[in-house]
Amino acid sequence: MEKTVVKIDNLVKRYGELVALDHFSLEIKEGEIFGLLGPNGSGKTTTINCMLSLLSFDKGNIEIFGKKMTPVSYDIKKDIGIIMQNVVVSEELTVYENIDYFCGLYITDKKLRRQYVDEAIKFVGLEDFTKFYPKKLSGGLLRRLNIACGIAHKPKLIILDEPTVAVDPQSRNRILEGIQELNRSGVTIIYTSHYMEEVEQICTRIAIMDKGRKVAEGTKDELKRMIKNTETISIEVLGLGEDVLAEMRALPHVYDVKYDEKLLVISCSGGKHNLTRALDVLQKRELSFGRVYSELPTLNEVFLEITGKALRDKEE
Amino acid sequence: MQVFKLFMKVLKKNLFTSMIYVIVFVAISIPMARSAAADKAFKDTPIKIAVFDEDDTPESRALTEFIGRKHKLVELENDKDKIMQALYFETVNYVLIINDGYAERLVGSDTDGLFSTQHIHESYATVMVSQLLDSYVGSVRAYLASGADMSEAQQSAADAVLSQAEVTIARSKGSEDLSEASSTHFRYLTYILISVIINALCPVLLKLGKKEFRFRTNCSCMKSASYSIQVFAGSAVFIAGLWLLLMVVSVVQNGGMFTGTAWYAVLNSLIYTLICAAIALLICSFEPSDTVVNLLTQIIGLGSSFLCGVFIPQSMLGEGVLAAAKFLPAYWYVKVMEMLSGSEAFDGSRLAMYMLIELGFAVALLLIALVVNRVKYSSAAIKLPKLTAQPQKQ
Repeated sequence: MEKTVVKIDNLVKRYGELVALDHFSLEIKEGEIFGLLGPNGSGKTTTINCMLSLLSFDKGNIEIFGKKMTPVSYDIKKDIGIIMQNVVVSEELTVYENIDYFCGLYITDKKLRRQYVDEAIKFVGLEDFTKFYPKKLSGGLLRRLNIACGIAHKPKLIILDEPTVAVDPQSRNRILEGIQELNRSGVTIIYTSHYMEEVEQICTRIAIMDKGRKVAEGTKDELKRMIKNTETISIEVLGLGEDVLAEMRALPHVYDVKYDEKLLVISCSGGKHNLTRALDVLQKRELSFGRVYSELPTLNEVFLEITGKALRDKEE
Repeated sequence: MQVFKLFMKVLKKNLFTSMIYVIVFVAISIPMARSAAADKAFKDTPIKIAVFDEDDTPESRALTEFIGRKHKLVELENDKDKIMQALYFETVNYVLIINDGYAERLVGSDTDGLFSTQHIHESYATVMVSQLLDSYVGSVRAYLASGADMSEAQQSAADAVLSQAEVTIARSKGSEDLSEASSTHFRYLTYILISVIINALCPVLLKLGKKEFRFRTNCSCMKSASYSIQVFAGSAVFIAGLWLLLMVVSVVQNGGMFTGTAWYAVLNSLIYTLICAAIALLICSFEPSDTVVNLLTQIIGLGSSFLCGVFIPQSMLGEGVLAAAKFLPAYWYVKVMEMLSGSEAFDGSRLAMYMLIELGFAVALLLIALVVNRVKYSSAAIKLPKLTAQPQKQ
């Protein structure tokens, strides 16, 4: 049976009249890459800050590794790695010294720390930059340094708060591969991001937050099954009459048909062979058609349908 | 000791600019203090005088000789244009014409018509020479009235007018142990201490106290107490190091180790160092930018120095200024120094009271800083980045 690493139970956090977390509950199992999604002000960062005891909360309970989390739970904190959205390093220290500093907040044994720091540098690929000061690093390299500072002490739980913001594609891929590699070595990951494709790519389970509440939770497939749309068929075809569109609407599992001059878009809810049936209608009437697409719903559509707003409509 | 090591590394980066203050201070204050101590006597400035003796009697020649003993006699042609030119180019400051009949008038009581003069209107030379001549003539007549003959009267009058009183500034009991140079040096310390401490300590405390950096550290398993102790230790090492360095300079300035009541000046500077540290801590509580820190350094450093009598003695400051200065710790620091330098009568109990007031300032500033920090951290959650959630309908 998988162990529960994080258990948040009925968490309430208020700022005066403002309810930032509204009876929020969550359970994260060992070995998961758990994605926490939500629009601006949905409570993701508040949740993380409460988890880390950086913020007090009004009601509820947080357990990490089976123990209650408090500001003085140093035995729990030693196994948590945090990578914040903003790069938090010291400009006065070199790459090596920065990683050593943050690792030293957890590991006091100098020999062991040196080994851990070397491993972290190798992991993020900063071997050639150990003596560089942060000012000399590019945005991507800075992000990698930020990650190295958060993981050098070999935590069992790593919280990444949007670690790929303003990162070039090459560094982003490297970071995502690194996260998966860490996960394969047994580390549990909590990942928040605006980038749906990243979440789809690496997260094993996802929770969607809105207005301080959890509105959906599950695997990617489970989330996609929660919405009405399961397949969108697009066909390039000219000169369709109203009778053809009416026949399309009458097909099983079709709940919406749109046509504008040359592109027919059919939205389906459940069922199989939807594409074959749509093409049969066109062939029966000997209508020629161009390119044909059949798309499964994206996480963005799931998000849009559940929360009623796009995730990236406003950068946080 | 991770935080302590980081503290020292950040401090090292900021120390250079701050040490410029110390270097400039040492380079300027030592010669200034020494020159202030050396310039004990007032020195007359000789005035260039051209004398035209139209009387040409022993009395008029005695007057010319008398003037020559105090001022510089300049040869000048008795020509109106040349006299005007000389006065204009200041090759001569004063032209004295001893009128014909001077000797006769000197014996009598008639003061009019003894001399004619040409000079720049209302220049300092006019006033000085006029006073000198009045004194001389008055003294000669006084000696003649007392029965002396003309020769004796002129000699005695010249000696009396030109005699200089020797002035010795008596130092009050308890102020003998601090040399004048050291006293000046200790006064100037207020400016250097406040400038260096704010300039060097604030950037380090601001860097370590930066919200995200602090949050990141709070996430680790380092205990809050350990973190605070290391930051305190770093600050204490820097402040103690700076104070010791300035004390070494003070010993050099003093020409040897302090003795007697001079140790009070050392204690006073230590208390003021604590005040400066508390001020730095209070400034950091408001998280100012580097520019604001530099600005505050100048405002607090120069402002309190001018208002409290560091650069100008308190005796020369107006009552209103002094009344306002009492609310600044530098005022009480200078009060102690005035007592130790002899400007104010030494009184042990008052000295202790002044120092206690300084300590009171240190404690009050520290408490305010702690309160501001507490309020800031308790409201930090409200200012958390990214929190823009809308109020919910209950």
